Amino acid sequence: MKLTRRSFLQASAVAGGGALVAGCAGRKPVTSAMTEAKALPKQPAKGEWLASTCQGCTAWCPIEVFVQNGRAVQVRGNQLSKANNGYCCVRGHLIIQQTYDPDRIKVPMKRTNPAKGRGVDPKFVPISWDEALDLVADKMIELRTNNEPHKLLYMRGRYSPTDQALLYGTVPKIFGSPNSISHSAICAEAEKMGPGYTQGFFGYRDYDLAKTRCLVVWGCDPLSSNRQVPNTIGKFGDILDRGTVVTIDPRFSTSAAKAHEWLPLKPGTDGALAAALAHVILTEGVWNREFVGDFKAGKNLFVAGQTVDEAAFEEKETHGLVKWWNIALKDATPAWAEKETLIPAGQIVRVARAMGEAAPATAVWMGPGVGMNPRGTYASMAVHALNGLVGSIDAPGGTLQSNKAPTGEYPKVDAYLDEMAKKFGKEKKIDGRGAKDMPAIMGGPGKTGVVTNNVANGMLKDPGAIKVILSSWTNFNFSCSGAHRWDQAMAKVPFFVHMVTNPSEMTQFADVVLPATFAPTEKLSVITNMANLHAHASIQQPVCKILWDVKTEETEVVWLLAEKLKAKGFPNLYDYYASFEDPETGKKPTNAAEFNEITARISSAPIWMPKEPLKGDKIESWTDFRTKGVYNTERYAYKKNWGKFKTETKKFEFYSETLKKALTEFADKHKSTPDDILAGCGYVAKGELAFVPHYEPPKRHGSTSEYPFDFIDYKSRLNREGRSQNATWYQEFKKADIGDESWGDVLKMNPADAARLGLKSGDTVKVSSTTGSIVTTLKTWEGVRSGTVAKCFGQGHWAYGRVAAADYAKSQPRGGNNNELLVDDYDRLSGSTARNGGFTGVRIEKV
Amino acid sequence: MPNYGMVIDLQKCVGCGCCTVACKGENNTRPRANGQSYNWSDLLNKTEGTFPDIRHTTLPVLCNHCTNAPCVENCPVTPKAMFKAEDGTTLHNQERCIGCRACQMSCPYSAEQLDEKSLSGETYSVISFNFEGRDTQPQWTDQSELIKGCTASGAETGTKAGTLVPHMNAYESGDYKAIRRAGVVEKCILCHHRTSNGMQPACVAACPAQARVFGDQADAGAPIAQLLKQHKALRLQEAAGTEPNVYYIRKYGPRS
Repeated sequence: MKLTRRSFLQASAVAGGGALVAGCAGRKPVTSAMTEAKALPKQPAKGEWLASTCQGCTAWCPIEVFVQNGRAVQVRGNQLSKANNGYCCVRGHLIIQQTYDPDRIKVPMKRTNPAKGRGVDPKFVPISWDEALDLVADKMIELRTNNEPHKLLYMRGRYSPTDQALLYGTVPKIFGSPNSISHSAICAEAEKMGPGYTQGFFGYRDYDLAKTRCLVVWGCDPLSSNRQVPNTIGKFGDILDRGTVVTIDPRFSTSAAKAHEWLPLKPGTDGALAAALAHVILTEGVWNREFVGDFKAGKNLFVAGQTVDEAAFEEKETHGLVKWWNIALKDATPAWAEKETLIPAGQIVRVARAMGEAAPATAVWMGPGVGMNPRGTYASMAVHALNGLVGSIDAPGGTLQSNKAPTGEYPKVDAYLDEMAKKFGKEKKIDGRGAKDMPAIMGGPGKTGVVTNNVANGMLKDPGAIKVILSSWTNFNFSCSGAHRWDQAMAKVPFFVHMVTNPSEMTQFADVVLPATFAPTEKLSVITNMANLHAHASIQQPVCKILWDVKTEETEVVWLLAEKLKAKGFPNLYDYYASFEDPETGKKPTNAAEFNEITARISSAPIWMPKEPLKGDKIESWTDFRTKGVYNTERYAYKKNWGKFKTETKKFEFYSETLKKALTEFADKHKSTPDDILAGCGYVAKGELAFVPHYEPPKRHGSTSEYPFDFIDYKSRLNREGRSQNATWYQEFKKADIGDESWGDVLKMNPADAARLGLKSGDTVKVSSTTGSIVTTLKTWEGVRSGTVAKCFGQGHWAYGRVAAADYAKSQPRGGNNNELLVDDYDRLSGSTARNGGFTGVRIEKV
Repeated sequence: MPNYGMVIDLQKCVGCGCCTVACKGENNTRPRANGQSYNWSDLLNKTEGTFPDIRHTTLPVLCNHCTNAPCVENCPVTPKAMFKAEDGTTLHNQERCIGCRACQMSCPYSAEQLDEKSLSGETYSVISFNFEGRDTQPQWTDQSELIKGCTASGAETGTKAGTLVPHMNAYESGDYKAIRRAGVVEKCILCHHRTSNGMQPACVAACPAQARVFGDQADAGAPIAQLLKQHKALRLQEAAGTEPNVYYIRKYGPRS
């Protein structure tokens, strides 16, 4: 019988598909010639690769987008990028679905329901840009008319590192408000305190993975998130051949699955483990002599429990090693640490030896899990200090600082500040930084950093303090711990303008919504970052036809807003923007589109028309830059910062004179003492211990009797921050997050605990902390220790879109949001929001 | 004629999902529905042991392009809709496909109806089926708006972009269409529209670990042949006698 599609359809119409299908399987093939059919000609899709920049995480990878007839179709790493070697991670691929998200906001919207709250329909209606910006400008002018410009608050989410100066850096300042608030402190700022107060580098480190012989992954999973994910993925497999990989994480991560050693420490005890590793490295004499120095007499005097004479040791690039030993390390034996961390002493010794043997090619890659907890500064310092001990700072195979790609500066803003702006710009910021209980001494002595999550508390405490909010690419009602506080705070704000791509949780509280360009495929800007020993500047540009009436918040929208403010009697912002000059032609912008282009040209001009030849790539022109898409600097030079670390001593400080100065100055300002300040901020250290890396026992919200499980929060490898959950590809491959389930959200619990509680995989459970509760699905999993439960951050949207939320119209979430469980608390020395370290206890009940 | 195959180095693989997502983009495969994943490339997960001594492997899976392909043998139409190209690729011609699903039922790596375990990567199916009379792109024909007049819809997004699937990768192929119609099966064709034009399959091109090596096994100088010579390779379900042309080398983790 010769069966064709037509004859089959006729047959199935009679017999019913099922019957014939069953029959087919057993039927003998009509012919056994496997290749009786010939392959017909084919052509791959025609199009072109256009350069842009990802910004799905903080790696900010230079990418290229494959464009067919004005449609964005595929993404890859920029082939010229030295940061990612021409590859993007899975986040990059999701750009396509985010660009064509069916739930994009396509026009400006206005709220028509004055009632605000979670689950309250804002009853948005479409309006024109003109009407929208009139509404915004009127509300802003009202503040100035009433002599309260400081009641304007701008909150920055994802941004461009160059153009942020035009909105974050300018609008509140010229207007007369001190309230420019960045999202930074909810990310990983506490992590910067380690390198900051030991080597004066308050930044994210680079790693020389091509030469690393011992990689210690600590409190993160760089194969999934943190930074430079594609570069790490490309080099990890070879490190396994070359040496030892150690993963320190309370939950089983991909890095743990692929490591020689997994150390699933009790959450929040990282400082104890670091101290014990340091103790063993010193007692076994495997520290790096070139960086740290040696005993003058040659003999190792580091013996457990014994104090050492400071004069006996001669340091080289470091300061205070013996002090550190005497104050915090001499009794930090592996046996002691085993009790605190639950990691076997033998494994601690084994890992310390491996670290010492590979030194200085031992990179300790610290992530936010170490420091983003209520006493995290000291854990962060303790973990980073290990890089100092093994001499990997700026060494081949080690932990490096980085170069910077040159970028152009925008004109100075000062001349455009009127008396009102100068006066009210000095008002107190709403985030409470610098208060006695919130030092936030990020950046070193005399400096302060943002306390993002405290803004909600500030607004709740004084509901009249903020009357108009502008915010772009934020979703603090979803992304900040103690999320319900943001629901309460935002509901009370008289006028809130949200600049976003999707109707997010925070958008539900907006009065006016200005639809944003989706940055990686639609925004024009210049982005800078570093990875793999090279810094870069890359173009971000519209690569495809923009389907909706959207505008770029940091250039086009501020220009249009400035025009409106000028028309209503406040010209200063417009006058400032209009003073910009094109770096090549000197032309001044006359409209939003010109301003958009001129600002990108100013930012990138030092790359394509440098005053002196650059050491990195050669870029001929603006057009050449947009075509190539990336400028890579020269390779980072080893030992570049030896002898000139930005610390008080210019050395790598195991005894932090820099922290001592910062804390003492801060205490003086409050007529207090460092001990008093630390006690008020919840740290346990007193006296000299406050100035060395050391172990602070974990702080925990909720008693172990009422909330018996330590909650472990971590990031999805598919998270484009909190924004990719409306993509079906995100949901379909959620199982790429180790232990997770596609299209779902699972709380992972050790099977022994589940058996004890009578729970099994698939059960719907209510998870409660002292601050809130969520309902999600339980999964039994051997990847967590008994007494702990883990859940990935990402799911739990009750808005954002039809895929992200279970039911957008009814505000029903898909899974649960970790931030509704995590307690609003801080590492107060840095101002960082606590997320990790088991600081939130939870109770789990079957629903 | 080459004899195409693929080697996947599990030590390099980190289970990140770039291959699976890039495949969905390259081949315009729709979201899962009706017990079909429509994932021509997928991930299997296996975790064993008890805390803290646990071992995990993520196995990227795709059509094995078997030498003895039951899907081809059991394809009842003439000429066959499921057939072997001369280069070894197991191809599918959608015009000739009658949607009988004999291929899906006979393939040892496929399931007619995926269960919930596929959501955690315990099961998968190489071949998926587009049911007769059902919309194969419901995501993009959906005209509903979350906020009326303010947010987009799938249908409007496609219309504005100029194609039903706005990000459609519009390749041309005489055998299979860039978007499937109802009543046919679909599966990985090793990006024949790319490989027959000197390009790598999309999953290979996208792999940031460079864990996937595609090429001509018959060419002794080709990287794939060298890897197969150098390493002991594993193939899925050897006992089924299908002679897969997708090979796995090394271990996912040192403790795996």
